[in-house]
Amino acid sequence: MSKFLFVVPPFFGHVSPTLSIGASLIARGHNVKWFGITPLADKHIPAGGEYIYSETDLLEHQEELQKILKRQDDGPACSGPEVMKLALEETYIPIARIMMNSLGKVVDDWKPNVIVNDCITFAGALCAHIKGIPCVTTTPVPPDVMGNSAESTPKIFEWQQNLVKGLQQEFGVYGDEIVIHSNKMNIVFTSQEFAGITDPMPHMKFVGPVKGRPNNAAFDWERLKIVTTPKVFVSLGTLLVDIRKEFFQKLIDAFAGTELTIIAATNPDIFEQWPDNFIVNGFVPQAELMPEMDVVICHGGFNTVNDTFMNGLPMLITPIAYDHFHTAKLIENAGCGIKIRYKRLRTVDMRNAVFELLANPKYKSAAQNVQETFIKAGGNDRAVQLLEEFSNRAQMVASFD
Amino acid sequence: MDNIAAAKLNNDEIFDLMKQFITEVIGEEFVEEMDITMESSFTKDLEMDSIEIVSFSEKIKAHFGDQIDFTGWLSNMDLDQLINLDLGTIVNYIEECQ
Repeated sequence: MSKFLFVVPPFFGHVSPTLSIGASLIARGHNVKWFGITPLADKHIPAGGEYIYSETDLLEHQEELQKILKRQDDGPACSGPEVMKLALEETYIPIARIMMNSLGKVVDDWKPNVIVNDCITFAGALCAHIKGIPCVTTTPVPPDVMGNSAESTPKIFEWQQNLVKGLQQEFGVYGDEIVIHSNKMNIVFTSQEFAGITDPMPHMKFVGPVKGRPNNAAFDWERLKIVTTPKVFVSLGTLLVDIRKEFFQKLIDAFAGTELTIIAATNPDIFEQWPDNFIVNGFVPQAELMPEMDVVICHGGFNTVNDTFMNGLPMLITPIAYDHFHTAKLIENAGCGIKIRYKRLRTVDMRNAVFELLANPKYKSAAQNVQETFIKAGGNDRAVQLLEEFSNRAQMVASFD
Repeated sequence: MDNIAAAKLNNDEIFDLMKQFITEVIGEEFVEEMDITMESSFTKDLEMDSIEIVSFSEKIKAHFGDQIDFTGWLSNMDLDQLINLDLGTIVNYIEECQ
């Protein structure tokens, strides 16, 4: 049996799939812990696992950390290049810096066999490199292969490389090698087909969506049962707080009183009253709800995207910032949805798009094609198999050292 | 000589042409809410995303042909140059390339 340490960022969307694989690893008898820098409620942690958060170690970083978290609210108002700066310069790199000391102590103390770092949580792989521990990276988003490469945008590529190398040097890692991701195994939670990647590097392993993290959110199933109109699930994910009210106001303008039922995952407090054909809950058992739905509206958060196509449903995607645009492009390429950019979102277009998705069977059929590739990718079983093989191989190699 | 002089657009003409391209790309009703000037920044003021900028580049290519490598010019910029890119810079670039 092996000890797996997941190193996760303070963003639930990135933590979520690791909780699902972690639950499967625990079920197989492995020891699993998570390391993060913000508290995570016990109800999210799979039974038998442990989430390590050291308040004392982080005390000196608290002010900076809160600033970083608050800064994320600016994302939706930022342009593409500004978001890149916000993400790398103002989020990923400083978070890695904040993590290193506390993480190093945890690793020395618990001695995991494998460190699994989320793709934006650079400290995991950097610490693994420094301490000589085998490392796997998890990537919840479809990797952007055409993105900023040395060929397409040389100056942006150089900027990225310099920032990462600067971080590495701060912790005594010199040279040109990039060690913030594993170059041995990178588990990606989508299918190769959907990601549109024809010739992946051999260490990229596309396992599709994973499931099974604890989620005991209550839901009024009785109310859903008596609904006779098409059901539209709407989610804005967990991160985008400031624009929530504006987004759901558009939704109300578009769908109040229509022959549809809107099931929205958001805190109902943002409005005093919701239209009668809206069912609104702050937390929902999304994985259980999804099979009951007919269409999904979301901004392109990857967990909702995965749940949607795992159930073969068509999607209206309204990309706002970050990787949403890349995901929207993949959805258009696959033909399984319609994209309307949030900044150019008019209620009439939103309404027309949803009725088009319901009326035209080509979207559902394309969504079912994506579903097939997701199922074929193997999910939890494949991820666990890959992690076990990786851990066994690493321990065997170590025994010959 | 007259031919070349006639084909060459001055700054005002280029500005009007760019404004027309922008309108075609992002839609008239969104442009109506904006005050497009030489100082308008592409990403911040016009809120153009990468897909819209690509459509805009295609229109420039269709109009000017090979004499202007707009995409190549953009891809050699660093982030701050992209963030600060305004319509005036583009108009000047096209003016010089003609």
